[in-house]
Amino acid sequence: MKWYDRITQIDRRIIYLLLTLFIILPLFIPFKIPQNVMPQTQQLFDFVDSIPPGDEVVLLALDYTPQTAPECHPMAIALLKHCFARKVPVIGVSFDPQGPGLAVEAITSVIREVNENARTREDSVIYGTDCVYLGWKSGRVAALLQMGESVPQVFPVDYYGTPIDSLPLMLRVGNYKDVAIAINIASAAYPDDWIRYPQSRYGVKVGAGLTAVMAPKYYPFVQTGQLSGMMSGMKGAAEYEHLIVKHGYTDDSGTAETGMNSQSMIHILIIVFIVLGNIGYFFSRRGVKQ
Amino acid sequence: MKRTIPLAICLIMGVVMMIQFFIPHPISLEFNSTILNWIIVLFAFALVLAIGNLIRHHSIKIRKRKHDWPYSIVTLTSMAAMAIIGLFWGIEADSLFQRIYLNIFAPLSATMFALLAYYMASAAYRAFRARSLEATLLLAAAFIVMVGFMPFGQYISPRLPAFAEWIMRYPNMAAQRGIIIGVAFGAIATALKIILGIERSWLGGKE
Amino acid sequence: MKSRDVLHLSVLTHFPFWLQSSVTFLLIAALIAPPTNVRAIDRPNDAGTAIIITWDLSPDDPVIEKYVVFRMTADDTIYQNIGFTKNGNTSFEDDDVEDGIEYTYMISAVRNSEMFNSEPSAVVKSGPQIFHLGRTNILICIIIFTMLLTIFVIQARKGRNLFIRRIPGLEAVDEAVGRATEMGKPIMYIPGLGNIDWTATIASMNILGEVSRKIAQYDTPLIVPNRWSVVYTVAKEVVKEAFVSEGRPDKFKEDYVRYLTEAQFGYAAAVNGIMLREKPATNFFIGRFWAESLIMAETGAQTGAIQIAGTDSVLQLPFFVTACDYTLIGEELYAASAYLSREPLLLGSLKAQDYGKLIVLAILFVVTLLSFLRIDLLSLLEIQ
Repeated sequence: MKWYDRITQIDRRIIYLLLTLFIILPLFIPFKIPQNVMPQTQQLFDFVDSIPPGDEVVLLALDYTPQTAPECHPMAIALLKHCFARKVPVIGVSFDPQGPGLAVEAITSVIREVNENARTREDSVIYGTDCVYLGWKSGRVAALLQMGESVPQVFPVDYYGTPIDSLPLMLRVGNYKDVAIAINIASAAYPDDWIRYPQSRYGVKVGAGLTAVMAPKYYPFVQTGQLSGMMSGMKGAAEYEHLIVKHGYTDDSGTAETGMNSQSMIHILIIVFIVLGNIGYFFSRRGVKQ
Repeated sequence: MKRTIPLAICLIMGVVMMIQFFIPHPISLEFNSTILNWIIVLFAFALVLAIGNLIRHHSIKIRKRKHDWPYSIVTLTSMAAMAIIGLFWGIEADSLFQRIYLNIFAPLSATMFALLAYYMASAAYRAFRARSLEATLLLAAAFIVMVGFMPFGQYISPRLPAFAEWIMRYPNMAAQRGIIIGVAFGAIATALKIILGIERSWLGGKE
Repeated sequence: MKSRDVLHLSVLTHFPFWLQSSVTFLLIAALIAPPTNVRAIDRPNDAGTAIIITWDLSPDDPVIEKYVVFRMTADDTIYQNIGFTKNGNTSFEDDDVEDGIEYTYMISAVRNSEMFNSEPSAVVKSGPQIFHLGRTNILICIIIFTMLLTIFVIQARKGRNLFIRRIPGLEAVDEAVGRATEMGKPIMYIPGLGNIDWTATIASMNILGEVSRKIAQYDTPLIVPNRWSVVYTVAKEVVKEAFVSEGRPDKFKEDYVRYLTEAQFGYAAAVNGIMLREKPATNFFIGRFWAESLIMAETGAQTGAIQIAGTDSVLQLPFFVTACDYTLIGEELYAASAYLSREPLLLGSLKAQDYGKLIVLAILFVVTLLSFLRIDLLSLLEIQ
C-alpha cells in the first residue's frame, strides 16, 4: 500500500485513541489560550455589567440537562458569579424537569464560594435576600405568561418549600417589571418561548446560553435585538468566564476555559485528519490519472 | 369498509380541528382541551401495548436462548425494578428512583452523547474530501468556521472569527431557511393529503 | 455659645434649603399632569374575560413612579385599585373581568404617594370572539393552497403527465431491499425519534408503508424499532396493512415492529446494539432526529450497511450526508411516498407544493423590496 493510500485509510480506532488523548491531556497539563470574545457574549456581559446593583433582579432560567452540563453549567456558574460580585440579586427558575438538580448545584456552590471569601455582610450572599431559587414548574408557556402578571402566583413557595412572602427578595419582585434581564440557559428550544412571550408581550430583555449546536438558529434573534446577548456552547461559557476574570469579579476561571483547551485540541486534531485525508486523496487521484 | 371508516374519521377530525384553530370562543377551546385529554388516554393505552411488545420480544429471546439473550434479562429486570421502586417508594426529589436516575441513567445518557465526538471525528475524516468544486467550497467553509471559532483563530488573522461568524449568520442561515420553507410546504401538503384521503400509504396504499 | 443659639443658627442657615426643596416639591406636585385619552377595549381574538386599557403618557412621565389602574362597574360606588404598571408603559391588560358586565377605567399617575387621576374611560364590555382575525393570513394561505392542490389533483386524475425529477435516495430503495434479500440479512427502518405529532413522523409512516410493500414481495426480515408507544402502534398497523395489500399477510411477523424506550440516548444505544448484533444490510433513517443521528448513522456505516436517510431536521442533515449513502433533504422526505408509489394523485400534490413555494418566494421578494423603500408589510405576515 502506498503512503498516500495509507493516510486515506487510517483505522478509526487510532483516531479514537488520539482523540481520547487530546481530550484528557489538556485537563492535566493546564495551559492558557487567550480568548477572543464573540460580540454576542460581550453584549450579554455588558448588559449584566450595566444593571444598577440592588435594584432590579436577574431572572435566571436554568433548563439544561446532565447531558449538556459541560457546555451549560459553566455558563450558569459564571453568570451567578458576575451577578453576586456586582450585588445584583438573582432569581432562579426551571421549566425543564431535569433542570432543578443542576440548578441547585450551581447556586449553592457559587454562594458557598462567595461566602468563603467574604469578610463582611456586604461581600456575602444570603439566600432569600440576594438570591432565591423558585424550582420547577410544569406548563412552561402558561407559567411564562402568568409571571408577567405575578411571579408569586406561579411560584407560591420556593424550591425548598419556603413561602415566597417570607423571602425578603421576593417581597420586592412582583412581575417582569422588576426584572432587568431574563437569561435562559437551555439545552432545548426553550428560548423561543422566552422571546415569544416575556420579550414580545412584556418587553422583558432576554438573554440566552445555548449549546453550540443550537446557537446558529438564534443568531438572527441577536441581530434583531430580541435577544440582548447570547453565550454559545462551551466557547461562549469560556468567553464569559474570561470576561469576569478580566474585569476583576473573580480570580478563578471556571471549567469551560479548561474544557475549551480540550475542545480546541480536538478541533486541531480533526483538522489535521481532514487535511491528511485530502492530501492522500489528492495524490491517490493523481496516481490513478497517471 | 375497513378503510372507509378510518378515512372518514381522519377527514372529519382534520377539518374540525382546522376550524377550531380559527375560533377563539370558549366552546371551541373546551372542545380542544377535550380532544387533548382523549389523546392522553390514547397514549396511555398505546404505552400498555408497547410495553407488552417489549416484554414479549425479550421473553421469547430468553426462552429460545437466542444470541445475546442475557442482555434481555438485564432489560426486563431494570424495567421491573424501576417500575416497582417508583410505584412503592415514590419519585420525589431525594427518592431512590431519582437517585438511580441521576447516578446511573444520567451518566449513561451522557456517555452515549459523548460518543458523538468520536463519531464526528471519524465521519469528518472519512467524508470531508475535496471530490468536486462544491465539496471543496464546503470544506473551505468548514475549515474557516472551525479555525475561526477556536480561541487562537484571531492570531491567524484578526478578521477570521468575524468571517467565521459571517458564514454562520448569512450563507448558512440562508441555506437553512431555504430548506425550512420547503419543509413547511411539504408538511402542510402531507397534512392536507392525509386529511383529504389522497395519501393512503399508511393504510397499505391504494385499494 | 448656648445650645439654644446653636439651634437658632442651624435653623437660620438651613432655612433657605428647606424653603427651596419645599417649593420644588410643591411645584412638582402641582405640575404633575395625569395621563390622558384613556381607552378601554375588549381584548380581540380571545375567549373573553379580558379588557385592554391604553392611555397617552403624562407629559411628566419621567418623574412619575408608576401608573395605578382603577376600575368601576355600574354597581360600584367607588373605583377599585386593580394593579399598577411602571412609568413609560401605556397599556395594561385586565384579565380578571366578567363577560357582559360594563366597566369604566381610570389611570392615576403616582408620585410621592400622591395620585393624579385621569378622566375615566368610556364604558366597555368583554366577550368571546367567533373568528380569530389575527389568523386571517393563515386562512387565506390554506384556501389558496387547497385550491392549488385540488387543481393539480384534478389534472392528474385526467391523466396529465406530471414531471418529477429523479431523487437518487429513492431510486436506491429497490436496490437496498434487493441487496438485503440477496444477503439474507434484515432491513432496519428507523422512523425517527419524533412522536406522532411531528409531520416528519407521519411522512415516515407513509414511506414505511411503501418500503414494507416492497419488502413483502421478498422474504426479507424487517426491524422497525420505535421510541414512542403511539408511533409503535401506528407503525405496526402500517407494516401489517402493507403485507396484507401485497397478499402476503402470512409473512408478517409481530416481531418486525418493536418498542424500545422513550429515553433519547437509551434508544440510540439500543439501535446501535441491534445494528451490531443483527447486522442489517440496509438501514433507513426516515423522520425527525436530534443529537443521536450521527451516533446511529456512523455505527450503521461501520457495519457496512447501505444507508438511506431522510429528515427535515436541518441541524442533523450534515451528519446524515456524511454517514449515509443517500440522504433525502427536507421536503424530499415529504415527496417520497408520491415518488415511490407513483400514484398520479400524489404526484399532483407535489406540483401544488412547488407552486406554493413559488408564491411564497414572490411574496418574500416583494416584501423585501418594499422594506428597502421603508414600506413595512411584515406585520401582515405575522401569525397570532
